[in-house]
Amino acid sequence: MRIALLLLVSSAVWAADQATLERGQKEERNCIPCHSLRIVHSQRLSRAAWNRELDKMAGWGAKYTDRDAILEYLVANYGDDKPAGKPEISGDGRR
Amino acid sequence: MPLTRRGIFAAALTAAAVRRLRGADDPAVIPGKRPMILHNDRPEDLESPVTYLNTWVTPVDSFFVRQHIPRPAAIDVEAYRLTINGMVSKPVELTLSELRKLPQYTVPATLECTGNGRGFYTPKVPGIQWGRGAVGNAEWRGPRLSDVLKLAGVSQSATYIEIDGADTGVAATPDFIRSMPMTKVMHPATLLALSMNGETPAIHGFPVRLIVPGWDGTSWVKWVTRITPSDKMSAGFFMNPGYRIPKYNLPPGTPARPAELEVIEGMPVKSTITAPEDQAKVAVAATTIRGFAWARENAIERVEISTDGGSHWRDAQLSQPKLNFAWRLWQIEWKPAQPGYYTILSRATDSAGRVQPVVPAWNPSGYLWNGIDRIGVTVEAA
Repeated sequence: MRIALLLLVSSAVWAADQATLERGQKEERNCIPCHSLRIVHSQRLSRAAWNRELDKMAGWGAKYTDRDAILEYLVANYGDDKPAGKPEISGDGRR
Repeated sequence: MPLTRRGIFAAALTAAAVRRLRGADDPAVIPGKRPMILHNDRPEDLESPVTYLNTWVTPVDSFFVRQHIPRPAAIDVEAYRLTINGMVSKPVELTLSELRKLPQYTVPATLECTGNGRGFYTPKVPGIQWGRGAVGNAEWRGPRLSDVLKLAGVSQSATYIEIDGADTGVAATPDFIRSMPMTKVMHPATLLALSMNGETPAIHGFPVRLIVPGWDGTSWVKWVTRITPSDKMSAGFFMNPGYRIPKYNLPPGTPARPAELEVIEGMPVKSTITAPEDQAKVAVAATTIRGFAWARENAIERVEISTDGGSHWRDAQLSQPKLNFAWRLWQIEWKPAQPGYYTILSRATDSAGRVQPVVPAWNPSGYLWNGIDRIGVTVEAA
């Protein structure tokens, strides 16, 4: 019973995992031609604010393969209810 | 039980998927720079940890970087030309050696990103979530912009100049073009800098960078290649609606009303605490609290420090010289009487009597944060 349940849960989670991955891959393909994803991932915005950002970027030439999926991905992972990420520090670039 | 287990399992796997995607954000090293707070590496948006900002002159390797669009390919200094056209009697194309032949001036000035401190605003606004360190103080050297423009003979009817750099937009992103009114153009401290602390770092806009002391960083155009006197302000994105603030304060979270925005020029009065670090632990012993303060086109007159959340204030000692445009370092000795958690505040006043506010005005783009700086420190028994 426990094994059957775990398999069921695992497959459901796998599907969710794949969906997250695929939405994130859309984000990569659609956004990184102009900038790294760091500028996206460091922000915590409301759905309305992410929606406006997608419009702004579309005006600047971004082509979305699936705009809705990207919006859902941004809200789910970088919404304004999510805790701020830890600041990232670059490596030492002095010779 | 199964639901809880499922929830944990799902969270773990989804987090793993997000981490896999973040593989696109590989660790970055920025040539010439110490380890910096990395907001973006392409193009470079780098914040200085405040621990780097304890010297009057900020070294180039510690200086923050803000690029709106990718920087241009390396500029050949022999082939470089500065075009001056538009409302002039004699359009010219100047070489670097012609710019070097003009009288050279050194102006120490604090450069601050217009959005420095955006991360402190509530509600959050889009844009780079800068903390305290998108600011630095350098010695800029080059000819006066007014002397350069004399070579082309600017029309008396020109009220602005338009300034363009060698960087260009990607896809349909707009080119970074700015305008500046003639009163500031003709100010003797406004330079076309050919060096910064004696160096010519491309990442900071050299061989030629516009220096607009006391004004927000957006005005300091990098890799300048064209200056066009005109009788009107540039209509480009980076003048309108970009880099504007509401003419009067809005309730936090209110959308911008385009017709009620105005161009940002000077920066507000501000101080920042650099030591101790926020949330540091210190012993019950004499501790030096230090930082820096700066004020638009004015000089810093006073910095006050509170170690009890603002009930009592003491004057900090200020460094010399006292100059317009450039920051002053400050410090104060503090000997906490007993262990515990202390909230330390700093508040600056400038030579025009402006005082750093407790609550800066929220604005839809998160510009000009200058709230009283605040850190927390835990004092531990020795």
